[in-house]
Amino acid sequence: MSAHPDGYGLLKKAIHLSSSSMPIEKKLTGMFQLIADEFQSDRSLHLQPEAIPKEGFLFRVAESRKPLWVDERNPFQEEALLREERDLLCPSFACIPLFDDTSFQGIFYVGFSRSRTFSPNDLELLLLLAKEMGAAIRNDQLHYLAEDHERRVKQLSTLWELNKALLTTVNFERIVHMTLTAITLGKGLGFNRAMLFLVDEKKYGLKGTMAVGPNSAEEAGRIWSSLSNRRENAAELLAHIESTTENRSILNSIVREIEVPLEHEQCILSRTVLEGRPFNIRLSPEGGEWVQARCERGCALSSEMGCYVSEHLSRDPKIYAFATIPLWGKGKVIGVILVDNLYNQNPITEEDIRYLTMFSSQAGLAIENAKLYRNLEEVHQELKEAQTFLVHQEKMAALGELSTSIAHEIRNPLVSIGGFARRLDRTLPADASEKRYAQTIVKEVGRLEKILSHILTYTHEEPMAPKELDLREVMEESLSMISESLRNGGIQLIKEFSEKVPSVKGDYYQLKQAFFNLINNAYESMDGKGRLSIRIHPLLKNGSSLVKVDVEDTGTGINPEALHHIFNPFYTTKDDRLGLGLPIIHKIVAVHQGQIEVNNHPGKGVTFSLTFPAQEEKQR
Amino acid sequence: MMKILVVDDEESIRLLYKEELEEDGFVVEVAKDGLEALKQVPLFKPDLITLDIKMPGLNGIETLKRIRESERRIPIIMCSAYGEYKQDLTTWASDAYVVKCADLTELKNTIRRLLRLP
Repeated sequence: MSAHPDGYGLLKKAIHLSSSSMPIEKKLTGMFQLIADEFQSDRSLHLQPEAIPKEGFLFRVAESRKPLWVDERNPFQEEALLREERDLLCPSFACIPLFDDTSFQGIFYVGFSRSRTFSPNDLELLLLLAKEMGAAIRNDQLHYLAEDHERRVKQLSTLWELNKALLTTVNFERIVHMTLTAITLGKGLGFNRAMLFLVDEKKYGLKGTMAVGPNSAEEAGRIWSSLSNRRENAAELLAHIESTTENRSILNSIVREIEVPLEHEQCILSRTVLEGRPFNIRLSPEGGEWVQARCERGCALSSEMGCYVSEHLSRDPKIYAFATIPLWGKGKVIGVILVDNLYNQNPITEEDIRYLTMFSSQAGLAIENAKLYRNLEEVHQELKEAQTFLVHQEKMAALGELSTSIAHEIRNPLVSIGGFARRLDRTLPADASEKRYAQTIVKEVGRLEKILSHILTYTHEEPMAPKELDLREVMEESLSMISESLRNGGIQLIKEFSEKVPSVKGDYYQLKQAFFNLINNAYESMDGKGRLSIRIHPLLKNGSSLVKVDVEDTGTGINPEALHHIFNPFYTTKDDRLGLGLPIIHKIVAVHQGQIEVNNHPGKGVTFSLTFPAQEEKQR
Repeated sequence: MMKILVVDDEESIRLLYKEELEEDGFVVEVAKDGLEALKQVPLFKPDLITLDIKMPGLNGIETLKRIRESERRIPIIMCSAYGEYKQDLTTWASDAYVVKCADLTELKNTIRRLLRLP
């Protein structure tokens, strides 16, 4: 036992310790051991800055940055002691503050159970050791900070890369796909699976939009090992996603089916939107029990209550850990991102949530923009269609005017040609060969007159006489006009009329004409054999009540090249007919604010679907 | 013998109508426009008039109004190649409207109906 420690050897060992790669706790323990060996001290401690009381002698040491020496020559004189301080009272002890220019690292305490006197050498050595200790602690702190910074810088640069990738497109599907992929990439945010649910404001609910993630643990392993061999960074991997890249995962099809009403206060998805904050649903370390069983109804506790998340997304709802974060657009939550680590079971930390929140704030804006852009494109498309329609209408109007005046000019001469031919026919004897000529003229004039009245019917606005009509009755009436031909031919007629069909406001004669033209066209295209199906059903589309009339035949269908022209007047594929049947239908349907759809299968048949706005049911 | 005045600017139509109606036993006089028709009415004193609508000068509708100023009882049939006048029929003081057609059956039936002939 040496009363005078070997200063040189001690310092050498202390420096060796502090420059080693051991964790800081081990370094300190090593130093305390050295001091105990060399000074025969009984107790050594490092008091963290947070552990120092706000008054008393420890406080004074910390404040003044001056060591306190208590020995035979300098007895302790404090009377009122704090509880923490009482534990430290020894016959002799030293409290040395650890600090450098920029920070304070606490107090180094060394206590002796026997009274002793600190020699100048002791004081100097202990101060030097304290210096070394402080440096080791500071070093450790800096090292930790540096690591933390490095991680943050890496995160930020990944975020920047991902955001840059998101800026390369305004395609909605692609942006969503890229966002979710970024969340699941190991080089991105590194979750196993990611799902997006967007708010549907009309339905006041959440709708599953897309999900990205492996279908099984095996697939997950395969993907991860193949990705880890690739050199591209996250953004470069994302660039491979095209708007046409199909997302075929089973998870995606499950998620797309999920719809959650937003009032559902107990569903985590719904709460994430309503409360605008993340939820981290995780298991306790013992497993089985929920640490944060926030979803009282389903997610956490029982699946039979019908919770969407636990029922659909987990293998076993009772041990399913996941997190949700709100997706922010401009000033409002536009959706929810749900993530989990189903395959590697990595716990989701608060740090993960923070990182995901940072990423999704950018992704949210990108998704919202893409959504707006998509709406814009839809409106643009509608506008284009409306324009085409208007141009068509104008063309029709001009054509109408022209054909009306031509028809009038032709009609007068036809009357006299046909009229005199009739007179000739009447005056000629039955056996005269000229009689046949006259009859031919009469017949042809009759045909021309029929064409003229067709043109005038098409181009002239017949006034509507609107009434509340049952389209089933109108259809029956049209069918009766042609039923004989249908019966005589080998055509099977199938009628499917709904029992309840709302009435439609319209002109009985015009609609009868339109239906007749449709049936007649179908009949002619089937050449005597086939099946004619007529269906009339109520239909709800975009919140408005409609009546839908389908006329389906098994005839020749329409030549794809001709499809664009079928509603043009005077276009026909039949030699003996003027192509006014469909334009007249088109016109009548348009006058009734209805729509026509053609479902054409060349060689197999064609279905014409007409929809008309239904009459509002009268308030009772 | 019932007398019919045929008013039409087309010569061939006038000829056709005249021959057809004379064959059916009517006495037929023709006028090529509205002014001539107005002169003919007090002289010929027709029992019925067929009146074309689209004519140069005084058109059929104007002519109808002028005839009706003095003659309220003579049945008048408006004839035209236009289909769309049908809707205005009630606002005119004509008795019938016939779309011109090579087959004169409808015209003849209308004449008989208005003249209460079998």
